[in-house]
Amino acid sequence: MEGTVSEGLPVGGTGDGQLPSGDELIGVESLVKHFEIRGGLLGVRRIGAVRAVDGVSFSVRRGETLGLVGESGCGKTTLGKVILRLIPATSGQVRVKGRPIFGLNDREMIPIRRDMQIVFQDPYGSLNPRMTVGEIVGEGPYVHGLRSRQEREELVRELLARVGLNQSHIHRYPHEFSGGQRQRIGIARALALNPEFVVCDEPVSALDVSIQSQVLNLLDDLQQDLGLTYLFIAHNLAVVEHISDRVGVMYLGKLVELAPVDPLYQQPAHPYTVALLSAVPETDPRKRKKRIVLKGDVPSPAAPPPGCRFHTRCWLRERLGNPERCATDEPALREVRPGQMAACHYAEEVSPAAIEAASRASESGMTAELAAG
Amino acid sequence: MERLDKLVAIPRETPPADAVDEVDLIPVRTYWQLVRQRFVQHRLAVMALFLMAALVALAVVVPTLTGDAYTKTSLSKTMLPPSLETPLGTNQIGQDMFLRLMKALQTSLFIGFMAVIIIGAVGVTLGSIAGYYGGWVDNLIMRAVDVILSLPIFFLIVMIVAFFGKGDAWVVIIAIGLTGWTLACRLVRAEFLKLREADFVQAARALGASNRRIIARHILPAALAPVVVAATLGIADSVVTETALSFLGFGISPPEASLGNMLKGFQEDLMVRPHLLIYPAVTIVLIVLAASFLGDGLRDALDPRQRIEKK
Repeated sequence: MEGTVSEGLPVGGTGDGQLPSGDELIGVESLVKHFEIRGGLLGVRRIGAVRAVDGVSFSVRRGETLGLVGESGCGKTTLGKVILRLIPATSGQVRVKGRPIFGLNDREMIPIRRDMQIVFQDPYGSLNPRMTVGEIVGEGPYVHGLRSRQEREELVRELLARVGLNQSHIHRYPHEFSGGQRQRIGIARALALNPEFVVCDEPVSALDVSIQSQVLNLLDDLQQDLGLTYLFIAHNLAVVEHISDRVGVMYLGKLVELAPVDPLYQQPAHPYTVALLSAVPETDPRKRKKRIVLKGDVPSPAAPPPGCRFHTRCWLRERLGNPERCATDEPALREVRPGQMAACHYAEEVSPAAIEAASRASESGMTAELAAG
Repeated sequence: MERLDKLVAIPRETPPADAVDEVDLIPVRTYWQLVRQRFVQHRLAVMALFLMAALVALAVVVPTLTGDAYTKTSLSKTMLPPSLETPLGTNQIGQDMFLRLMKALQTSLFIGFMAVIIIGAVGVTLGSIAGYYGGWVDNLIMRAVDVILSLPIFFLIVMIVAFFGKGDAWVVIIAIGLTGWTLACRLVRAEFLKLREADFVQAARALGASNRRIIARHILPAALAPVVVAATLGIADSVVTETALSFLGFGISPPEASLGNMLKGFQEDLMVRPHLLIYPAVTIVLIVLAASFLGDGLRDALDPRQRIEKK
């Protein structure tokens, strides 16, 4: 469609190609989603595009939880919706159990829908206020023509019990429930089709902290009992660390790091990941934080910087004396350490000593700014 | 980098199955029960509902029972004052004013309701298509709306009626209907644009629901609320438009009766016998008031975000 797409293609190639292919449940290949900005007299002239997702490749292994983190507006929610074909992709492909799903027509998509479901962030907006809990949870089996009316009701009751709701709630309406309960209804709806893959789009961000842990535990238990695979999208790093097996970090529509949870949190390879982790609030006030404060704002996804998208704010680039390469060559996602992939030309330079120095520089910079102001 | 502390200490127990949930203490109420409950709290709307029901009942019952007696003239009974035999008196040619008023009410309400049905049908259909599918279809429909809105509507209606048949109620209905759907269309389109991206609609799509089911079951019920309100208010508009048309001589003409031509018939008598003018005028005011308050009450009742206030 657009000529601009091709420059994003080499990144990551076929994702982490070292996986045995039988292990892959969902394969995402060079996925691109551009939202076009239209203008002109009739609103049909294309005057630009917001590059929400710009060439992302990875795969989700059967039974794992892949966490996806990034700042607001980095494209993580769009990515989840494009994978489920809730919004059409600009280019790229998604494979479900090895079968490409872009290009299938509505009828061919129906059986695929059973394999993948979604849990939304907003427990208020995700349930139809005019339907009862029974109708909401039973809608999946109904539209797929599975089971009789009576069997559906039994299934709904089972599901309600499974997600920790009272079976007597079946005839009630969403507005009568609390946020946590509504989220459980949303989870029950997603499970009604017995999917293998569930996209959890910030499922706990809108909930009370005490309720968050309950819902996380529920998702955890369901995963163990039903062998589910999750793509867990969140901006809360602690939540992602708790629930994920592997974590992907997104910045401006690109995947900048993809690694198992422990290496990523203990020894991040991408400078952006380092900065992101340093922003997590410390629970112990006596510990001194090593904060790296990034300069400026996230650039507009309608006009991302050339080369590495992070180079305009990168602390590592500054330390290395602003190498030209960062502003011209787009770094590909590559294996920095076994299993740990990062899209940075100088990922090997990220060391505890460098982080320490950068945080001190960042802090003194802030103090100087305060003194000057 | 040191490992982050775990979120919170996480309790693992689930509540026992028979635990009393606070949700259980709320009586089960369906969506429509809630709507009724909210509507009943709106006193003016309830009164308006009764008023409208009474007007409709009168308009249906009286002319049906008395047949075409409202056209009967009698030269010996002209200009009678109100009496037991003729409750509202008679006019210059001895016609019973009460029977004529009832027939006029029937004609005007019929035109009002029918025009609103056409407005609703056309507006909802085109608005849904424009809002759901978007793209060039949307562009085409909305530009058509702009064109219609840029014309002087009343003049357009007068032209249509003058061209296709003065005095025919159906021509009046179609003229009002075909020029008045633009507001309903815009309302429905706006709702569709908003709801198309709503999470619960996306969820239905993820479940594999067809476009037809998504529109009929998820979007339309939510999108219709503002239309119902607009349609109720539209009844008042249509009645007033018909009145104006007939008053100018383009709508319903004697011997048929409508509120507009009753007004026209008595304008010369304003100084001498003002009561003859007051009957149709008051009737028009009653219809418009009833429709407006009904619309207000429905707007409050149909909004699901509006909680029931305990008095």
